[in-house]
Amino acid sequence: MSRKTERLVNLTIALLATKRYLTKSEIFRTVDGYEGTPESKERMFERDKDDLRNLGIVIEVGTFDPLFEDESGYRIKPENYQFQLGDLDSKDIALLSLAAEAWRGAALDSSALSALVKLHAIGIETDAEALPDLAPAIISKDINLASAISAITSRTVISFFYLNESLQQESRVLEPYAVASRYGHWYLFGMDLDRKDLRSFRLDRVLGSLSTKGRTGSYEIPKTFSVESHLLETRSQQIAQLYLRSGRALALRARSTEIADEKAPVGWDRVKIQYQDQERMAEEILWYAEDAVVLEPDTLRSSIIESLQAGVIRYG
Amino acid sequence: MAEKQSTPIEKAARLLDLVPYISTHQGVALSDLASEFGVSESELLSDLNTLWMCGLPGYTPLELIDLEFESGYVSIRNAEILQKVRLLTKDELVILLVGLDLLIQSIEAKRVDLLNAITSLQVKIKTIIGDIATIEPIVNSSYRATILNAIASRKNLQISYHSLIRDELTKREITPIELMVDHGYEVLQAYCHHVAAYRTFRLDSIADISLAGSQQSQTMAPPEDEAFKMEITIKKRIRSTLERFRIPVPAETSESSGSFTAFSFSQDWLIRSAMSTLAATEVLAPISSRVELARKCRKTLDLYESALFSKIS
Repeated sequence: MSRKTERLVNLTIALLATKRYLTKSEIFRTVDGYEGTPESKERMFERDKDDLRNLGIVIEVGTFDPLFEDESGYRIKPENYQFQLGDLDSKDIALLSLAAEAWRGAALDSSALSALVKLHAIGIETDAEALPDLAPAIISKDINLASAISAITSRTVISFFYLNESLQQESRVLEPYAVASRYGHWYLFGMDLDRKDLRSFRLDRVLGSLSTKGRTGSYEIPKTFSVESHLLETRSQQIAQLYLRSGRALALRARSTEIADEKAPVGWDRVKIQYQDQERMAEEILWYAEDAVVLEPDTLRSSIIESLQAGVIRYG
Repeated sequence: MAEKQSTPIEKAARLLDLVPYISTHQGVALSDLASEFGVSESELLSDLNTLWMCGLPGYTPLELIDLEFESGYVSIRNAEILQKVRLLTKDELVILLVGLDLLIQSIEAKRVDLLNAITSLQVKIKTIIGDIATIEPIVNSSYRATILNAIASRKNLQISYHSLIRDELTKREITPIELMVDHGYEVLQAYCHHVAAYRTFRLDSIADISLAGSQQSQTMAPPEDEAFKMEITIKKRIRSTLERFRIPVPAETSESSGSFTAFSFSQDWLIRSAMSTLAATEVLAPISSRVELARKCRKTLDLYESALFSKIS
């Protein structure tokens, strides 16, 4: 078992040290650990190349002489092997280390650990005192979050079952583009291949595990796609006006702006508030029952009145 | 404790990372090195023994990596080829990007130096992997640090807490016990001196926090159970409504028309949740909750029917 490890490290060293492309036969002749029949050496080498690629090591394939159909060769360019964030000072290292620490014990614990090791290996002493006392933490242990992130970074199509509002399982096939956490939940964004549209999914509503389909690198994320701007666009804002009882409905109040209204009933404040989904907004307002009254829009006001009338009949 | 065995590939990755780390930390203690890499000392020794056999083709002492670790301190020579720190994988870049998002939201605006440093790191990362991951944290990282600090130093905390259930903001002194995750939210279990009882506080509802005096030893009553329950049927938006009532999705999802039971330590929370989901649910029991809901519906509807709250003309 350690033979395999040894061979991978030796292959990396050989490909990294060479200034020119090494042919397969040169590799088999010189790199320790390639044994057996030509076919088994070949198989070993193919697997080793895949394994190194999975570690993020880029192996270049090239020929010695472009004019002739030469045997192709392999090398690792040092600039593709080494740490790519450029020169960092001790403050940068401290910030990045803290950012990685946030994932310890969470869904991407092992990536957090390996990132930390690399940051520390740079060998710059970090000055923790320079930062305020912060304890960032990601609490999701959802393995689907880790799978989603690797599917995105490796451009691999995924399929999964998603729970709809009627608790039915819908089968989805997705080119995943991005993940985002909002309101304490993780969402997955991507091109839904059946519906041919950009869709989002709350990861904790996925039933079972995400599974990958086909090869890595099977699609491109559009150059214009940005998760931040996508989130801004889809926050289609509607505006409601409400009366809130003074000193009550604190959470609604915190998200709203007060507007002057001389005709407001005594002990009430007029506010306006932005929202996206009418049903969610109605639920939030009804949470405060007789401490919040919607004035407009009409559709929101009528849906609440309708629910209240039904409630009076149901429970009365 | 049973050790998780690394795969040969994980081991190879670790060996490649060990070389630059030891190179910049010549003479590092074996035990420190093991904890830095999250492995046992015996696993680390096996790593070092493997690394010793690696080097440039030829594999004579001239080409092999030269390691010294018998003394319990590790140093390395003849490993120039692998000395550069390895590049960050895309997954590692994603977690750094997201982690930096958490920091930027918790650093005060006056620390312009830090905020600028974070922004420029994020720009660097996004040019490599794209704008593919983001988080808007609901908990301030400095509040979490204060809580951990208080637990470690056995101090009390002074908090401003926004209770969604009671719809009020209160100041209270609490003795923190443990940070936990409850139904997907971070909560702090604590003894609340304001009500002289155990309470669970959601971290995202803490509006302000500071360290208070040292903890006094005292007898505390045991935490309350989720003592109240409510039986409901759900007519629509079943998934969202179950989530709101924190009822686990039934294993047999076709059985969606039946009734469900919600549990809570707070009667008020159940009533407000039922009120909130008026359009989708019917409370079957207890009868007292039905009476309370009837009263609330009537009272609220009265407001809508009064001229004072009529539509804007």
